[in-house]
Amino acid sequence: MNAKSLIGLVVVVALGVLFWWGIQTKDQRSELPSALAGREAPVFEMELLDAFKGKWGEKINLADYLGKKPIVLNFWASWCYPACYEEAPIIEAAWRRWGDRVMFIGVDTQDERKNGNEFVARFGLTFPNVYDPRGKIGVDYGMYGVPETFIISREGRVIERHAGSIDMETLEKMIREVLE
Amino acid sequence: MKRWVWLLILLLGVSMAQSVGNEPPPDYPPEVFEIAKKLRCPVCRGESAAESNAGVTEEMRRQIAEMLKEGKSEEEIIQYFVDRYTDWILYEPPKKGLGLVVWLAPLIGLGIFGLGLYGYTRTTAKREAAYEEVGEEEIARLEKELEQGDRSGGEE
Amino acid sequence: MTPSAVGNFSLALAVLFSVVGLLAAVLAWWNKDARYLVIAKRSALVALLGTLGAFVALEWALLTDDFSVIYVARNSTRVNPTWVKFATLWAALEGSILLWALLQTLYTWLAGSKMRDYWTSPVALGTLFVIQLFFLVNVLFVINPFITIPNPPSDGPGPNPLLQNHWMMAVHPILMYLGFVGLSVPFAFAIAAMWTRRYQTWVVETKWWLLIAWGFLTAAIYAGGWWSYEVLGWGGYWGWDPVENASFIPWLLATAFLHTAMVQERRGLFRTWNFSLVTLSFAATVFGTFLTRSGVIESVHAFAGGPVGPIFLGFLLVILAVGFSLLGRVSSEVRDVGAVHPLSREGLLLFGALVLITMAFVVILGTLFPLLVEAFNGAKVSVGAPFFNQLFVPLGYLMLILMGLGPVLPWRKAEPETLRVVVWMTIALVLGTALGLVVGWTLWVSLTVGLVLFNLVALVWLTFSPVLRRARVTGASFFRVLADQFSHSRRRYGGYTVHLGVILAALAISFSQSYRLDVQKTLDIGQSWNVVGREITLHKLRLLREKYRDSVVADVEVSGLGEVHPRLNYYRSSRTPFASPSVTYTWLKDYYLVLQAYDQEKGSWATLRLVVTPLVLWLWISAGIVILGTMMIVWPSGAPARAPAAEGVTA
Repeated sequence: MNAKSLIGLVVVVALGVLFWWGIQTKDQRSELPSALAGREAPVFEMELLDAFKGKWGEKINLADYLGKKPIVLNFWASWCYPACYEEAPIIEAAWRRWGDRVMFIGVDTQDERKNGNEFVARFGLTFPNVYDPRGKIGVDYGMYGVPETFIISREGRVIERHAGSIDMETLEKMIREVLE
Repeated sequence: MKRWVWLLILLLGVSMAQSVGNEPPPDYPPEVFEIAKKLRCPVCRGESAAESNAGVTEEMRRQIAEMLKEGKSEEEIIQYFVDRYTDWILYEPPKKGLGLVVWLAPLIGLGIFGLGLYGYTRTTAKREAAYEEVGEEEIARLEKELEQGDRSGGEE
Repeated sequence: MTPSAVGNFSLALAVLFSVVGLLAAVLAWWNKDARYLVIAKRSALVALLGTLGAFVALEWALLTDDFSVIYVARNSTRVNPTWVKFATLWAALEGSILLWALLQTLYTWLAGSKMRDYWTSPVALGTLFVIQLFFLVNVLFVINPFITIPNPPSDGPGPNPLLQNHWMMAVHPILMYLGFVGLSVPFAFAIAAMWTRRYQTWVVETKWWLLIAWGFLTAAIYAGGWWSYEVLGWGGYWGWDPVENASFIPWLLATAFLHTAMVQERRGLFRTWNFSLVTLSFAATVFGTFLTRSGVIESVHAFAGGPVGPIFLGFLLVILAVGFSLLGRVSSEVRDVGAVHPLSREGLLLFGALVLITMAFVVILGTLFPLLVEAFNGAKVSVGAPFFNQLFVPLGYLMLILMGLGPVLPWRKAEPETLRVVVWMTIALVLGTALGLVVGWTLWVSLTVGLVLFNLVALVWLTFSPVLRRARVTGASFFRVLADQFSHSRRRYGGYTVHLGVILAALAISFSQSYRLDVQKTLDIGQSWNVVGREITLHKLRLLREKYRDSVVADVEVSGLGEVHPRLNYYRSSRTPFASPSVTYTWLKDYYLVLQAYDQEKGSWATLRLVVTPLVLWLWISAGIVILGTMMIVWPSGAPARAPAAEGVTA
């Protein structure tokens, strides 16, 4: 086999390895690392969904909680089926367990107000959820799909982003890390 | 007619991609689309922010329009999105580090294949020259061999 | 007698006879016995009929709404119009591979029946059988559309709504597959030539088949661009999406081969390079089908994943390995001899091939770059239209120059006489560019205009100067001589026609990219909008109900162009509506309107997006010219064919 064939064979093998790796990792590769990791969380002030106006007022401002407590920020939408529907009870349960030490805020993004209210009622969500029809907060956080959950440290920095439906184990792990 | 439209919405319960309540989206000058073309739609599989109908890109275009009105330059607007989404949101790879490789692809390609082509034509030209450089004695010797071959009664 | 039973039986038949054909081809080569070749050719026909049977069976299931067949249950729906149900066969993975297999068996049979050379035919036919076996075995055993489900649903979700908006869905994939699959025939000939050490004669027959495949591929790419433009609502015709690129790469390589084949025919040069160009063209098509179906790269075109990814990857690697190893043997045995002067026709043909290969390289590298970077350091980058558009500008200009000069220069070496023409061409180039700049066009557009004139002068000289000379010498009338020339040198004029189409396309692309206008405005009912010298008035918003979709239609009047009806289509299976734009072609500009949003409560306003693009109509006209030129080249001539035949015992 001469030199040219050898080069050709090496190229073929290299391509094969590259594509094989590509196929095997395609699900992990679709995760985008957060541009905000380690940086200060972008603040927002947004109107709440009806169910929460009584307890929390007309609007909620993230800045009021930044730097005081760790925050779990969860993006969802009523049309995001089934992922958001799967994780909603998990987040509510976590709020009930950790709510005194960690603040939970939900963002109903690019949704109809009516549908958002129905979603909240269906899962009996008690942590405050804001209504962001334009998805402005989503863009600020570099959101690339729903659902997404961000964990913000006590100092007000974005630590991690979890894209996709979150399970209790992962959520609790993130909370414990940020409480240390 | 109007009642029909209303009925449609009730029946289908569909929410439009740009459902900002029921307000019309703002008017966009051409610059908005020109900048949006350079950004990737974060939720789509391979569309730019100018083409896509997704809600996120509608918001991106809105923000581009607002920033343009504030007087921000194109670089500032693009940097705004890169700050939030990393370089991935750019539809051109950054012209630094590893990204340079793909920007130089035409030169690399022309270089590699051009060298190959050049080497090839040199070799073939040399071979042709070698054929033409047949010496006088060589010709005489070959002619003698051919004559001998003819005399010994052509075997074919 | 259910569709599934018929389908599976037919597929099994096809597989069986492909194996028989393959064995017969192997025996024909091994024993040097032409009788086995007859068996092989006949088996090809039976395999074709078998696959056709499976195709018909699946259409039967689709058209009768037989939801017990898994493919129908997953991809079709009762309310769709018949033509959509027909086209649903290739809307998803399993059916698309069945269509591919069908076209492959068709090509195998057709190519087989035309093969004459006893040394190479067994190997070529055997290669084709191996390829078709790969696809047939996949359909039968791995991704079978005919699996029956015990509790059939009453209805299905239907195909992706994007595939239901326009009739082109029925046409573009078939053209594309005809092109892709067609490239397997030149590949088979190349393998046969390399295997049997027939290094020179294979080009003539191969070039013919490659031209046919190239013609279909060109038509398919144009069709895809037109479909994209008419249907998808973003006013563009080419997005540099990975799968679009995957169809462009084989096209570039095939075009390169079409031109270097001429050099091999004339001078016996480039023999090894030609083998690799043909191999890479076919490998590129398999690469494309691998990309779409493996999930390795994100794309708008992608089919849902499956086990198919690794299988197609394996097939791709085998093709490359076989091709390269045979090539290794060839390159050590073939000794091309001949000097190439850079300023000669063969010199420029090779330059041109170099540029085309570089273009293919740029597209491959750009498409794979995100994957490469991520494998290297985990970073995520995107490579899209802005990148490719910028890099293809200089490469395109290079091609335009070479395309103009190439046919003008004679073989071997440039003569001083041709210098005169080149001077005229250069004057045209400079004048054209200057004219463009004076009129106020951008530098790039002006340069394109100059290059178009550069090429036009060359084409006019090439077409008419021999006619004029001959008319003068023989005393015959100009038109008589012209007609004569046309029928005798039809292939040469066909080539010029294709080049004419290409430069027209270059002009259209240049203008449409540089001067596109994109604006969005919300109008109340009855309100008018003055833009680009026209008045656009929104007259009405209305609801249109069809069996399989509901639409909101906007009646919009554009002054001077009449009424247009951009609409938003709502399909049952999707939450978001799909915009169906209205496209109005005029000779100079296209007016493209998309209904972006509307008042959902009272229907009192609508948001319209207007895209005005110049010269797009000429892009589609250029498609017609290119296809016309291709047909001129391919059409069998009345004169006895100069096939490299050993016209001995016929099969």
